[in-house]
Amino acid sequence: MALLGRRNVFLLLAAIACVVPAFANPYHLFVANLVLIYALLAIGLNILVGYAGQLAFANAAMFGIGAYTTGLLQVHFSFPFWLAFPCGALVATVIGLALALPALRLSGLYLALSTLAFAQFTQWVFLHWEKITFGAGGFKTPRISFDPLPISKPVGLYYLSLVIVIAFVIFAQNVIASRIGRAFVAVRDSEPAAASLGVDLLRYKALAFGISGFYAGTAGGLYSQMLNFVSPEGYDLFQMVLQKAMIVIGGIGSIAGSLLGAGTVILLLEALREVKGAQEVVFGGLLVLFVIFLRGGIVSVLRRYVAGWDEPLRNPQREAEPDAPPIAATVEKPAQ
Amino acid sequence: MLLSYLLLSGVTTGALYALVALGLVVVNKATGILNFSQGELFMFSGFIAWSLHVQLGLGYLPSFLGTVLAGFALGLTIDRVAFRPVKSSDVIAIVLATVGISFVLKGAARIIWGGKSDYLSFPPITSPDPIVVGPVLIIPQQIVAFLGAVAIMLGFAAFFRYSRLGKMMQATADNKKAATLVGIRTDRIYTLAFGTGAAVAAAAAVLAAPLTLLYPDMGFSFFIKGFAAAVLGGLASLPGAVLGGFLVGIVEALAGGYIHSSVMEVSAFIMIMIVLIVRPTGLLSFYQARRV
Repeated sequence: MALLGRRNVFLLLAAIACVVPAFANPYHLFVANLVLIYALLAIGLNILVGYAGQLAFANAAMFGIGAYTTGLLQVHFSFPFWLAFPCGALVATVIGLALALPALRLSGLYLALSTLAFAQFTQWVFLHWEKITFGAGGFKTPRISFDPLPISKPVGLYYLSLVIVIAFVIFAQNVIASRIGRAFVAVRDSEPAAASLGVDLLRYKALAFGISGFYAGTAGGLYSQMLNFVSPEGYDLFQMVLQKAMIVIGGIGSIAGSLLGAGTVILLLEALREVKGAQEVVFGGLLVLFVIFLRGGIVSVLRRYVAGWDEPLRNPQREAEPDAPPIAATVEKPAQ
Repeated sequence: MLLSYLLLSGVTTGALYALVALGLVVVNKATGILNFSQGELFMFSGFIAWSLHVQLGLGYLPSFLGTVLAGFALGLTIDRVAFRPVKSSDVIAIVLATVGISFVLKGAARIIWGGKSDYLSFPPITSPDPIVVGPVLIIPQQIVAFLGAVAIMLGFAAFFRYSRLGKMMQATADNKKAATLVGIRTDRIYTLAFGTGAAVAAAAAVLAAPLTLLYPDMGFSFFIKGFAAAVLGGLASLPGAVLGGFLVGIVEALAGGYIHSSVMEVSAFIMIMIVLIVRPTGLLSFYQARRV
């Protein structure tokens, strides 16, 4: 393994992350925690879009469902956070699994739009089911305490997020390196070919949607506890574009890229916090620029110039190698 | 009284949705993709019309023409920036590029026009008083919007049926390779499709502007309703899109009037999900091989 390979770099980053609370001010700690939460979102979305090739737009809705379930169980049924949090992740996973059913019949544009419609439907429920969700104003969630431990809530939550992110990164790496990951890539590259090789489309699409729902639901639970406040606008279309921008900037079809993308996007977002219009222009513009000029994201540059950034099952089609013709171009579209 | 009012307003908004859907279908027929920034083109054109009409003091018709031209130019830009460089790669890249453009447009509108107040109102072009004809209550503004939309649809149909360019576009949509062989520059046809799609959205925006308020977030709801209309018609059929537009408008108005006003927003999403799951080829098509 090369000295500057991704394993060493991420070990170093994890080590730094462990000591961040010792010297960071509350705002820096907040941003660091935000990066961790978005890392979960980006990895989940990348497994679904980058590896399994399902162009879904429901990730922000899953994030919201996780946050709402966690928060509402605490408020309405006075569940403790430790119970509500896994419940939120579970509900998001189940809804994610259910979304795989339309994905069996739909692909490409149609899937994108039906999941987009689903996401807007979720927004609408958050806004209008006022008896349960408290409508547009949102609601406050109780603060957890790490009582026996001598740490404050932000620090405790930060370490909780850090442990979860490390565990989930390792889990994602192993899933991708396993039979499941290869099945995802087979489904992405050609569904008929995958099916004829004995890949069960229903099972693997459901698995991809379920995993991404689980990641997003977990992130949602942590997010609701970090802000102690849940409202519909946190889970809207802009949220979706942020998450898409993360995987495109970091690298589609790359776990390391998801982490890099989450970090980059959150730092940019914090730099632009003042102006909503500027955020939209910058992230929309970055999405276009990366799609056109750097299809493989930041991670493809690292792969080319630094040893040790190759990941299993990387996608040569989306690499930014100008002379290599894209694979899709050689496949004839069916006549319409 | 309530029913006739609801039907009338449903038909009016439906005609506008049909125009947005026509723009989506023109692009989809020619290129096989969806322009996710169609709704934002609509919104942005509405603001351009506002600037021309209110800030520069042009009349309604000159601002209409100016806006349609500006919309056409925006469509060409989108083709150049977000479609042409990525069209030979996978569909994910194209979708993400057009989504990116839509957010650039939305942010730009927020920066340019958002500071004045959150909602801009476009002055009415007819008297705002409703006319009572027998048992029916008619709002003149709606009639103007409806007639304008129908005129644009007829113009569209004539363009595709009689003009050389329209026929070239149809040939390209039908079979790209054959169109290339007979000497049609298909790249230009794609550009033209994006331009026409955007120009139709701009026209719809100018017609809709006096009926609604203008705000930077309005585009998405028109996009999703236009898409619902297009998908009801099967996504590649111009008459289907018009029919779908009216259907979406009427269902939405009835749902708003008889169930609850908040159901209006959601009826389109529910229609999309049902149609895509039950009948993904649209209402008008009877047989189509599954695309893989």
